[in-house]
Amino acid sequence: MVEGRPEQTGKLEQDLRKGVLVLAVLSQLQAPQYGYSLRQALAERGMPIEEGTLYPLLRRLEGQGLLASEWRIDDGPPRRYYTLSPAGAESYRDLTAAWGSLTSVVAALLHEEN
Amino acid sequence: MDPNAIIESYVGDVVGRIPRRQRADVGFELRSLLREELAGRADEADRPADEPMVMELLAAFGRPQEVADRYRPAGFTVIRPADAPGFAWFALGGVALQWAVTLPIAYADPGVAEWAESAGVAGAWWAPLPAWWLSGGLGAFWWPGFMITLTLIAAIIRHRRDATDAATDSAPQAEPRVAPHIPPQVLDRDRVNRAGLVLAMSFGALGASVLIALPWLAVIAPGLPQPVIEAFVFDPEFLAWRAPWFVVLWAMAFAVGLALLIAGRYTRTIRLISIANDVAFLALVTWSLTAGPIFVSPAADDVTRVCLIGIMLVFVLDIVLHVRRLTPTRAPILSN
Repeated sequence: MVEGRPEQTGKLEQDLRKGVLVLAVLSQLQAPQYGYSLRQALAERGMPIEEGTLYPLLRRLEGQGLLASEWRIDDGPPRRYYTLSPAGAESYRDLTAAWGSLTSVVAALLHEEN
Repeated sequence: MDPNAIIESYVGDVVGRIPRRQRADVGFELRSLLREELAGRADEADRPADEPMVMELLAAFGRPQEVADRYRPAGFTVIRPADAPGFAWFALGGVALQWAVTLPIAYADPGVAEWAESAGVAGAWWAPLPAWWLSGGLGAFWWPGFMITLTLIAAIIRHRRDATDAATDSAPQAEPRVAPHIPPQVLDRDRVNRAGLVLAMSFGALGASVLIALPWLAVIAPGLPQPVIEAFVFDPEFLAWRAPWFVVLWAMAFAVGLALLIAGRYTRTIRLISIANDVAFLALVTWSLTAGPIFVSPAADDVTRVCLIGIMLVFVLDIVLHVRRLTPTRAPILSN
């Protein structure tokens, strides 16, 4: 069955956002954050991520050595705080450079098109 | 219902589907995050958390199976999309072929007829079906299982090789990226692996030499026990009429192999000659199976017949492959 254009565009936009999800998450973890606070921070900056996507992603990034985590009990319930590991900080720098180059190339392509 | 009890049940369902070593840690964190999310939603709605609110939260989070999938590392493809239709046809076709062979055998089997008579259903059209289903019918499913097992092993090997390649590719490179090594036979399917072909021809020549030498076995190896020598005595009629044709066709197959070795790849002519040779082999084997004994010893004759049927299947497969490659699917050519 052929999808309607709004659904198709919605899916393509979702794919586009998925591609930058890791960079967005890494950008917010230069200071320790726990899952819920990170999701709020991203949503406030215009990058809402579904909770069911974000939390497993944090675990996977930790498994890949890009994030470090620890349990903390401050003034509330125990929370797992995530932050960039040294390898994660390095990857973040590389990804930021790649993102800059990518956006300028795509911007040039779009400008050409217009 | 208590929202925390619903969260507890949901978390239990998710962690039950992830590896045991992660369960405690993921479960603890997931419970804490869901409670946090629920509290956030309750604050936004300015009312205490209740059952509809927690159900809405969990629905947004996803089915427990999907959430568990997200916690697992990405898997790997067992059957590639391009191979899936061929795999399905080959698997189901194999089952259908076995049924086509075993079903008539079940109807002709006197043992099945005896059972039908003792059960009081003799003559009923369906009488042989239960016995067939419990033997050849269900038994035919070994084929898809065998194919899946081989495909799984191949997928695991491919996955490991890809992981190794990815690790090599991710290493810093001063030079521009070089193309990955793909065997030439994969890129050009008409090309032959010369080393493999030489090996196959050597084995073929060795096997043919052994069979040709069998009539002189007693002279060549006088030390062999008499029963062994007697077991490999050809039927005189087979030796006089049919065996010479095997030598002719082996010689032709060897010549085709040599031509292939020189050319390095299949040409249309080589494929057509190969098909003709395969068809001639099939006709000769059929003649040999139906015209009379091959070996004087019944035991050796029976084993040889089973082997020849297996060899016929290989020839049929070879013909199918050659015919398919003679009529390739061509990409359309755009013209102005």
